[in-house]
Amino acid sequence: MSLANDTAKRPLRALRLPLALGGERGLLIALVLFVGLLSIVPLARLAWAALLPGGSFDAARIAELLGNRRVVEATVNTIWISVASTLLATVTGTMAAMLVTLTDMRARTLWVFGFVLPLMIPPQVTALAWVQAFSPASPILGPLGLALPPGTRHPLYSMGGIVFLLGLYNAPLVFLSVRASLQRVPSSLVEAAQAQGARGFAVTRDIVLPLARGGIFAGAALAFVSSIGNFGIQAMLGIPARVSTLITLIYRRLNSYGPSALNDMALLALLLALLTVLGMALTAWLGRRGDQRVDTARRLPRRSLGALRGPVEGLAWLYLVLCLLLPLSALVGTALVRGYGQPLNAETITFENFANALFHHEGIREAFATSLWLTLATVAVLIPVSVALGYVLTWREGWVARVLRLASELAYALPGIIIGVAMILFFLRPLPLIGTGLYGTVWVIFAAYLSNYLALALRPILGGFAQIERGLDEAAQLAGAGILARLRDVVLPSLAPSAAAAAILVFMTAINEIQTSVLLVSSRATTIGPMIIFLEEAGSSTLAAAVGCLMVLLVLILMGLSLLAGRRLPDGVLPWRD
Amino acid sequence: MTRLTLTLAASLLASTAYAETTITLYTSQAPEQAQQTVDAFEAVHPDIKVEWTRNGTSALMNVLRAEIEAGQVQPDVLLVADVINLGELKAGGHLMAYPEAPVGAYDAATYDPDMTFFGTKALTTGIAYNTDIAEPVSKWMDLIKEENRGQIGVPSPLYSGAALNHLHAMIASDIGWQFYEGLNDLDIVPEGGNGPATKAVASGMAKYAIIVDSNALNAKASGSPVDYIVPEDGVSFITEPAAIMSTTEHADEARLFIDFLLSEDGQKLAASQGYLPILPGVAGPEGYPALEDMTLLGYDADEAVKTNDAVTAKFADIFGL
Repeated sequence: MSLANDTAKRPLRALRLPLALGGERGLLIALVLFVGLLSIVPLARLAWAALLPGGSFDAARIAELLGNRRVVEATVNTIWISVASTLLATVTGTMAAMLVTLTDMRARTLWVFGFVLPLMIPPQVTALAWVQAFSPASPILGPLGLALPPGTRHPLYSMGGIVFLLGLYNAPLVFLSVRASLQRVPSSLVEAAQAQGARGFAVTRDIVLPLARGGIFAGAALAFVSSIGNFGIQAMLGIPARVSTLITLIYRRLNSYGPSALNDMALLALLLALLTVLGMALTAWLGRRGDQRVDTARRLPRRSLGALRGPVEGLAWLYLVLCLLLPLSALVGTALVRGYGQPLNAETITFENFANALFHHEGIREAFATSLWLTLATVAVLIPVSVALGYVLTWREGWVARVLRLASELAYALPGIIIGVAMILFFLRPLPLIGTGLYGTVWVIFAAYLSNYLALALRPILGGFAQIERGLDEAAQLAGAGILARLRDVVLPSLAPSAAAAAILVFMTAINEIQTSVLLVSSRATTIGPMIIFLEEAGSSTLAAAVGCLMVLLVLILMGLSLLAGRRLPDGVLPWRD
Repeated sequence: MTRLTLTLAASLLASTAYAETTITLYTSQAPEQAQQTVDAFEAVHPDIKVEWTRNGTSALMNVLRAEIEAGQVQPDVLLVADVINLGELKAGGHLMAYPEAPVGAYDAATYDPDMTFFGTKALTTGIAYNTDIAEPVSKWMDLIKEENRGQIGVPSPLYSGAALNHLHAMIASDIGWQFYEGLNDLDIVPEGGNGPATKAVASGMAKYAIIVDSNALNAKASGSPVDYIVPEDGVSFITEPAAIMSTTEHADEARLFIDFLLSEDGQKLAASQGYLPILPGVAGPEGYPALEDMTLLGYDADEAVKTNDAVTAKFADIFGL
């Protein structure tokens, strides 16, 4: 590649950016603008509206709002539910990880797929399915004679029910983290203990678990953040059960009072953010105090379960049947009858609800379509941006990039509803120069998605960067290639598997999401995630069940497609692949 | 090239020949019934397409207020539960008058004297009870008993227009605020709309629910163990009025929609959906108690519009919302 050829391909003088804006500096400025406008400014606007509405700090107003008995009740409920469900998720996830990593259980890959599947199903669908499974009108338990008699309070419409479902939903998060940790425990320590005469359980309790402590607490942190921000389950169960949490309080107040409640809700959103950060800090501190030795060379040998193998495997598969098949079949059963509470048999079976959802109700079809193209657009924008951000983070030192990363991580970790409130505040007034407002349009939802999922796209890409030859990039730089050309021709092809995995992850997370868009949907722009909540609110339970089934079907199809692409994607990125 | 241009021009012209007008409807009807209403209207007027959005009336008003503030009003027509919310919009000058509306045969009490909104049906709000686990009562205050703690499904006026209407009717009557204070003492917090409350009483999660007659009687007809009581001291009623927004760009099509709702076809549709029609001569659904046999709790609508903010604030205060 001679320099003469190179010169001929450079853009015309008139079109070249001035030196200050070209090249890497320009890229950094663009990244700062992107993350700044989408993450930092809205969150700052939120803090402003919360603490200084109208420009003055009024401690009395804050005290009065936070001291309101409903707010105190919601805060206490939130803390209690998050802590309890995190404990449940941690115990369940750790046990599952130990089962899969340390024993010689058969059909492990399939079991892992089934165990992780609930994480990919939208939480509001999960909640709906479990409610149908245990209601007095249960299509599964009814024929078996196990249904609860009518008049009993539904067991899941309670604090315990919410904790149970949240624990179940987040157990796979802990599982993934602990499993990764267990796979790095040095087997030499275990062998030394066994040489000393320690047997089975003592070795696990005293050697393996303490070494996996980091992974356990990292998983617990993820589970805590996920629990506290899980709108789907808290709304579907908590609102009928009248168990108020901060997230559902914000949602209901904004629905009841409209934009006049925004400043007060911003304060509650800030409180929620504070609780989230406290929880993350606490679990991080707890995790750091353990032994951190790792050895990736040799895996721990698997222990034979011996005589216990049958019962243990039976229990494990029973768990899957109860937690996966029971609710999903109840969901399908409810979707196949016309009136809520009708028993499912050959006479009452009808595909009317599915026909309504797919063909008849334009609103539902439009919601599917909007979700689909919004998610595709989000992926199309976020992948290049995170490749660029990953480049700057990995190969260029600098505090700017680290601040950007922190901002994006914060936007991801905070419950989506906070981003929602921030976006409403940010976009409510018409834009200054253009004149029209973006409020209520699909672009606000798009902005919220870009803000929320940047960190999710960034992680696999950073992992990919760690495995690329830096020398290739430096060689290209020496030959005179500009930053964009280098990213496009040198970095992206090597990064393709990680970028593809990131794209799949963001797509699957965003397409059925509810937290971020539930406050932002309007008559002009609806996504499919909140649709189930709205249908339940309106009293159309069977239609909601049909939509839920379709969403699960979509998830299964996407997961199946990604498994087909399987070997070409890097390990450990997609949670449902072992 | 010429052929291509001509084809393009021809197809553009052809497309305008089949151009549809689209109007946007904001309604508080249940989704299935909103779809039925829209389908029936589009069958009569195939060149008009209706896009609809559904929410509880009070929640819908919040959405509208935000849109008015942002200068981006979406709907052309409204079909919501009660006259208080619409009265507030009328007071703000957001409704378009339709003096030529076909209200000749209708009772004057069902539509606005200034012709900005028109009632389309009659729904009463009374007491539904689960026949398996609860006993019928004859007065409102009979519900305020210790054994009903947490067992009454009550929609919230902050979401539902029917519930807001009921609140105003109750406080204007002899019963006053004590009914709601009694609910608060029984740990019952009004929440959401008529749909979930109906589901709660039908599935046995609640013994009683304060819901509209059509919800309760439709559930009974589908086989749920529910029945509907009209208390002796009276029921409130709403007329589910329709109105045209003053910002509409499709006034003619919007008027056609109102005409449809007030026509005999529209009233028959309402009856088939389980509502009491208000056009004299159109039969109501079977098994419905007749309006003439009930004590109807009314109130001064204009007065209610003026006091609405204070009333909802006091309501929120009682329940700590």
